[in-house]
Amino acid sequence: MLSTLKERTGEVLLPGDEFSFETDDSISLTGPVRPEKVVCGPGLRRSGDRLLVCKSGVLRHKQPHMFWMDSQQRRYVPAKGETIIGIVTVKSGDVFKVDFGGSEQASLSYLAFEGSTKRNRPNVQVGDLVFSQFLIANKDMEPELVCVDSSGRANGMGVFGGGGLVFTVSLGLVRRLLTPHSEVLADLQQLFPCELVVGMNGRLWVKSSSVQQTLVISNLLQSCDAMTAQQRRQLFRRVAQGAL
Amino acid sequence: MMEVCGSSNVTLREFGCEQSLLSRPDGSASFIQGDTSVLAATYGPAEVKVSKEIYDRATLEVLIQPKVGLPSVRQRSQEQCVRETCEASLLLSLHPRSSLTLILQLIHDDGSILSCFLNAACMALIDAGLPMSCLFCGVTCAIDADGQIVTDPTAAQEKESRAVMTFAIDSTERRVIMSSTKGSFSVHELQQCIAVSQKASEKIFQFYRDSVKRRYSKTL
Amino acid sequence: MKDTPLSNCERDFLLKAIEEKKRLDGRQTYDYRKMKITFGTDYGCCFVDLGKTRVMAQVSCELVTPKENRPNEGIMFFNIELSPMASPAFEQGRQSELSVKLNRQLERCLRNSKCIDTESLCVVSGEKVWQIRVDVHMLNHDGNLMDAASIAAITALCHFRRPDVGIQGDEVTVYSPEERDPIPLSIYHMPISVSFSFFQQGTYLLVDPCEREERVMDGLLMIAMNKHREICSIQSSGGIMLLKEQVMRCSKIASVKVSEITELLSKALENDKKARKEGGRCGFAESMPQERITALKMDETSVEMTDVTERAKDIVQKTEAPPQLVRSPVVPVPGVGQVGQGLQNTWGLEEEDEEETEECDNSDEEQEEKVTKMEEEEHEKEASREGDVVEISDSEEEDVVILHPETPDKTPKNTESRSHQKGAAASKKRQKK
Repeated sequence: MLSTLKERTGEVLLPGDEFSFETDDSISLTGPVRPEKVVCGPGLRRSGDRLLVCKSGVLRHKQPHMFWMDSQQRRYVPAKGETIIGIVTVKSGDVFKVDFGGSEQASLSYLAFEGSTKRNRPNVQVGDLVFSQFLIANKDMEPELVCVDSSGRANGMGVFGGGGLVFTVSLGLVRRLLTPHSEVLADLQQLFPCELVVGMNGRLWVKSSSVQQTLVISNLLQSCDAMTAQQRRQLFRRVAQGAL
Repeated sequence: MMEVCGSSNVTLREFGCEQSLLSRPDGSASFIQGDTSVLAATYGPAEVKVSKEIYDRATLEVLIQPKVGLPSVRQRSQEQCVRETCEASLLLSLHPRSSLTLILQLIHDDGSILSCFLNAACMALIDAGLPMSCLFCGVTCAIDADGQIVTDPTAAQEKESRAVMTFAIDSTERRVIMSSTKGSFSVHELQQCIAVSQKASEKIFQFYRDSVKRRYSKTL
Repeated sequence: MKDTPLSNCERDFLLKAIEEKKRLDGRQTYDYRKMKITFGTDYGCCFVDLGKTRVMAQVSCELVTPKENRPNEGIMFFNIELSPMASPAFEQGRQSELSVKLNRQLERCLRNSKCIDTESLCVVSGEKVWQIRVDVHMLNHDGNLMDAASIAAITALCHFRRPDVGIQGDEVTVYSPEERDPIPLSIYHMPISVSFSFFQQGTYLLVDPCEREERVMDGLLMIAMNKHREICSIQSSGGIMLLKEQVMRCSKIASVKVSEITELLSKALENDKKARKEGGRCGFAESMPQERITALKMDETSVEMTDVTERAKDIVQKTEAPPQLVRSPVVPVPGVGQVGQGLQNTWGLEEEDEEETEECDNSDEEQEEKVTKMEEEEHEKEASREGDVVEISDSEEEDVVILHPETPDKTPKNTESRSHQKGAAASKKRQKK
């Protein structure tokens, strides 16, 4: 199966396509026969002894044996450890309810901030933006967010947002922004200095030195969702030359 | 027993499909079969009302909007057909206690409307990236007064035919997921229509594959 | 479903940007978004794209009796549907505040301004008039639904053609589109609504707000005007207090915008008329953009049917033959339905009155939809006359009441009467001591 998967890497597959183990007619008795191991990522599911594709997209491969489906999607499904931008909707007692664009609102305890104790409560109002990560995120339980990492430090998380603009983009663009040595980010850095917070739920926050520049950057990012690298570079170049 | 005589080829009208045409829904698609045109949009997995939530699966809601007037019983029965097909192919257990909404807007009805709804629904679900175990497509067959089988009939052909049947066919094993029939026909004719629909569905699945390939053809 | 809440940071930024006269998409204060008007296959179907907001309008007509106090005038009916497709916040069937407001505004804009000559819709005074129904469906909500809806409605009305009617003495004939060309409605003027949104208690105003701007606005002023600079309707909502100069300024801006939009509208109607005259197909397949990678078209294809008959024969032969011989089947006589086997009660409820009402409706309004189960049972019944068939009508109950609309038999023991296909309803009431 590993060989068929590798052959079809980079192909566009649809739900319903499957990979099954080929039965070898002859297994060599002398040479070593190692069991194949395949790690399935999002979009691939195991069903019995077959591997089923359940989302449409391009099959990607990472050495040594990780495969997943790269699809264009807008709706976010929470996963543990991912950092997102959420909006606080309810402040009730000890727990805040945060909307992150999923099927339910996540809960964020007031103690999950750096340096907060029962006496020293964090300053969070309804409507604030929080950058936090998922502590619990599976399909059966209510998602739970925290603004500290495992050692108790904030590490960039927490309430933020004055003066910037938050907007939504597709999940694919967010993933492209977060890859190491991201091209989009590199192109953006050459434009204007700005602060950028990337939430994996498709929300981005931008702040630049003036309102105009912030608007330009947010429009650029929203439009380069659907552009190839070349078109994007052309567009950025035009903007840099001052077609503001 | 009626035999199918005459030409050995039946035709499907020209198809067209456009995905991601609306900015608010998570997935949207417009599907055109000849002059029949349908616009489909999906939202989900999203918040669900407590009265409608199911503890281990997503709640799928299908809404069909006619062009003139309010939805009536006919739309309800079409919604049921589409919902049953979608529930058979979506992996609903991956999103318990959430809601999936599928809205189908009729743009123009020139026959084969239920199969157009099914095709548009499938394309919208693919566009939204919802996990599915297989794809499905809809094919309508009509048996006219001479006993000939006509696939993808226009409204005029449907009016003159003795029986009109719509089948939803899945992509993995080409089996019938849902059938909705109107009129009188023999068992043999039914089996022939199913066989014809299975053949026609291959064209439709190839079209799905081509459109998704085209969508991902640009390397971003 | 709830819409995403508006964060404080977004609200503050939008207001700050508006103070600096900057809009999210780079427009000027008085600019409209890009507008596109397209038509559908049949007359009276129109799509309007205002930026990302998308709206569809359909006009239809039918002959009805007129209102008593206006026997000479036709009837106009408007309906705006906030389809759940347009926004996750819209729910099906619920008459929300926004829906009521939009419906009222459209009615005031089009009906009260008398833009359509309703007297020309009269066929026989006091008896038959045309009822023109305009349905507007919201397909995508990105702000300013009112303007898009009004443009779509008036364009669809201009585009619509009603069937020609001939009156000869007492006889009225409605000609189908094939017999005589349908005729357009007589429209006096085209009112178009222009929306102004106000921020910071009326200090700043924006024309054609997008969805995010609508969320932070204080109030909305809607002016419906036609190109002759006549105001058809004006409405201010949100509780903002406007000065006279502001309203005058808005009406001046509105007149400029309305003339631009009317020009665009007329051009679109012209192009469509030309295209239809040339005989080209105006369906949706043609209007689909080919260059986009999200769109694909496939031409008419044929389906091979070479081995269909053999396959079908195989399948029919391989399936089991229906069981012809069933010992003492319990078969309902045509026209009668049943829940349960009619045999031993296994529910454990004894000594209680049970009332089971069943209705068996085996007809559709227009077509005959035969339930295959009934067919099979009829076959079985015919085939197994020699077996010991227990018919439900011949039962142990004391009181069998079967109601037929044609034959009102109260207590028949023998219900062999065949029920009519259309509109037959039989109900059976069973009382068990």
